[in-house]
Amino acid sequence: MKKEQFALKKISLEDERFRTSYHFSLEKLKLSIKEIGLLHPPLVTRRDNRFILVSGWKRVLACHELSLSSIPVYVIEEKDELQTFLIAFYENLAAREFGLLEKAEALSRLKRFGEDEVKIIRHYLPLLDIPQTLSHLDSYLAFSGFEPEVKRVAHEKSMTFPALKLLAEFEAEEQRILLPFLLPLGQNKRKEILEDLIEISRRNDISVKNLILSEKIQAIQDTDALTPLQKAEKIRLLLRKQRYPAFSSWKDSFDSLLKRMRWPEEVSVGPSPFFEDENFTVTFTFEDQEQFKSNLDKLEELSSKDEFVQIFKLR
Amino acid sequence: MIFMGKADFFPRKVYIDKKSFDLPLTQRILKNIGQIPTEIIPDREDFLEKRRISRDSVKFGKRDLFVTSQKGEFVKRCPCTPHTIGCNYFIINLDLNCPLDCTYCILQHYLSDPIITVHANLDELWRQLDIFLQKNKNRTPRIGTGELGDSLVIDHITENSKDLISYFRGKDNVLFELKTKTLNIKNILNTEPASNIIISWSLNSPRIAESEEEEAPSVEERIQAAQRVSDKGFRVGFHFDPLVLYPGCEDDYQEVIAHVLTNINPGRIAWISLGSLRFPPSLKSVIQERFPQTKIIYEEMIKGKDGKLRYFKPLRLEIYKKIVRLIKEKGGQTIPLYFCMESESIWRDVLDWIPKGEEDLEAYLSSSLGQ
Repeated sequence: MKKEQFALKKISLEDERFRTSYHFSLEKLKLSIKEIGLLHPPLVTRRDNRFILVSGWKRVLACHELSLSSIPVYVIEEKDELQTFLIAFYENLAAREFGLLEKAEALSRLKRFGEDEVKIIRHYLPLLDIPQTLSHLDSYLAFSGFEPEVKRVAHEKSMTFPALKLLAEFEAEEQRILLPFLLPLGQNKRKEILEDLIEISRRNDISVKNLILSEKIQAIQDTDALTPLQKAEKIRLLLRKQRYPAFSSWKDSFDSLLKRMRWPEEVSVGPSPFFEDENFTVTFTFEDQEQFKSNLDKLEELSSKDEFVQIFKLR
Repeated sequence: MIFMGKADFFPRKVYIDKKSFDLPLTQRILKNIGQIPTEIIPDREDFLEKRRISRDSVKFGKRDLFVTSQKGEFVKRCPCTPHTIGCNYFIINLDLNCPLDCTYCILQHYLSDPIITVHANLDELWRQLDIFLQKNKNRTPRIGTGELGDSLVIDHITENSKDLISYFRGKDNVLFELKTKTLNIKNILNTEPASNIIISWSLNSPRIAESEEEEAPSVEERIQAAQRVSDKGFRVGFHFDPLVLYPGCEDDYQEVIAHVLTNINPGRIAWISLGSLRFPPSLKSVIQERFPQTKIIYEEMIKGKDGKLRYFKPLRLEIYKKIVRLIKEKGGQTIPLYFCMESESIWRDVLDWIPKGEEDLEAYLSSSLGQ
């Protein structure tokens, strides 16, 4: 490997065969290069009379944005694709943390360049803090096959491994349709929507696309008065009801009884999780004896209502 | 396909832990497998480690047999699950894993070694069982081999049923159960029965047996096998576990119950257990991956207090009540019934009683002993 000063335009950015990093901000790096120059030269290699980038995409793109004419680079003489990629891999491994999608790209390159699958599982997965299972490798390889737009959004929204694993179950077109629903929600609710869609689709033998394009979901989508978060939340609840009809019906009955009883908002009441236990829980806060007694009086009054007796049938 | 339910299962290859080669059971297995290739394994851990990496290590593990020795305890209490009434069962870890490949099987998740394993150090088993029985001499515990594998599926290779029945015969303070889905009863039919030996079958609806227990014999064949064993003089048991819900399942289960109680004298049935489909959430992805066609995991399952996914309680109650009513209607009023991994409220609402403790349940389940 020798160090040379290279005209920036000599480095081909079209060939991304060794690239594992995308979607980064260049601002701080540009500032650093402006102030102290490029201290760590990128790695390039010659293929078919072109110099292609092996490692240092962020650095080279920053230099482009700064309109530098030439930069120092290391030229790798190695011709074997796997060995060349490993130079980039280990350089990056030592320098920084890999994100989920970077890990996916790295593993996909190792596989593409012919690394033995067992070696990938035993040697490389632990280096990337991934459990040593074939199932994990398969998941990451599936992530690397996402369309660029899906990868960008997944990266920007820091989607978690479980959510990406679920997303990978969908066709590319479905992923594109789904993203707007998912983005306004938090990680857990994203995962919940994806799980429910998959499971309703499999249980009812209906495609996810048809589920998403159903009248009820489209009606929510078409309601201009709702914010993207409100739409996503309504769709989530609609899917929950479809996925868990009996439980939803019991929960609705319970809520309806409380409503008919005019249960006071300041006293919360609920069944055990999923009505598994026979007990119910009542909680309220109070600041003084008077408030405490007032809540007890309200509860006593409620306990004599017919609806209160009916609550105990819901268990 | 290597194994079809009706035919005896023979492994593709038999691996033998070098340290267990000279044991009598190993030699018996070698005699019974005929021309099947064998390989001596000098380093057991290295061998198992290498087998763990495979695209479907579970399926891969169901093709071969490994003969080794049990390093730890042969006898363990069934772990059951928190927040439920335990059935106070003890497990003999003699054979691990199973060539049947039921979609819902917990072994896919539970066993770490991807191979059917036979523990051949039987002398150690008898020693540990002696200690166990001595400790429980004033009780009537139930013990069996069918928790981490099918009790009879490789019995033509190991002939363990003969030794086990011979060991337990006459030991009246214990109920010994061999639990199976197979028709592999040749050794049982050639053995004298004893009142404390129960041969039991896991049953399901024909539809579930066909779609989810693909490699196991049909339900009808299992009932016929149970009938032959019962006719021989053994007491039999049945496990409707896991009950799987789908539209119309009640009619299908009704048919099976009627078939059982028409063909087998209820007085010869030691017990019937009921349990609904349940599994740890982590098994779900294994099932999805290995059996993408199955739909049973997409019914209405919630996370129970023990963290396992199970049917929403009103749905469980409904099916349990129907099945118990059917059993009673069809002449099974005196058959002891129990639940596997269910809460007190389910016991009370369905069976009208709650065992007061382990001894109470033992007394109930051994109540028909000597009939």
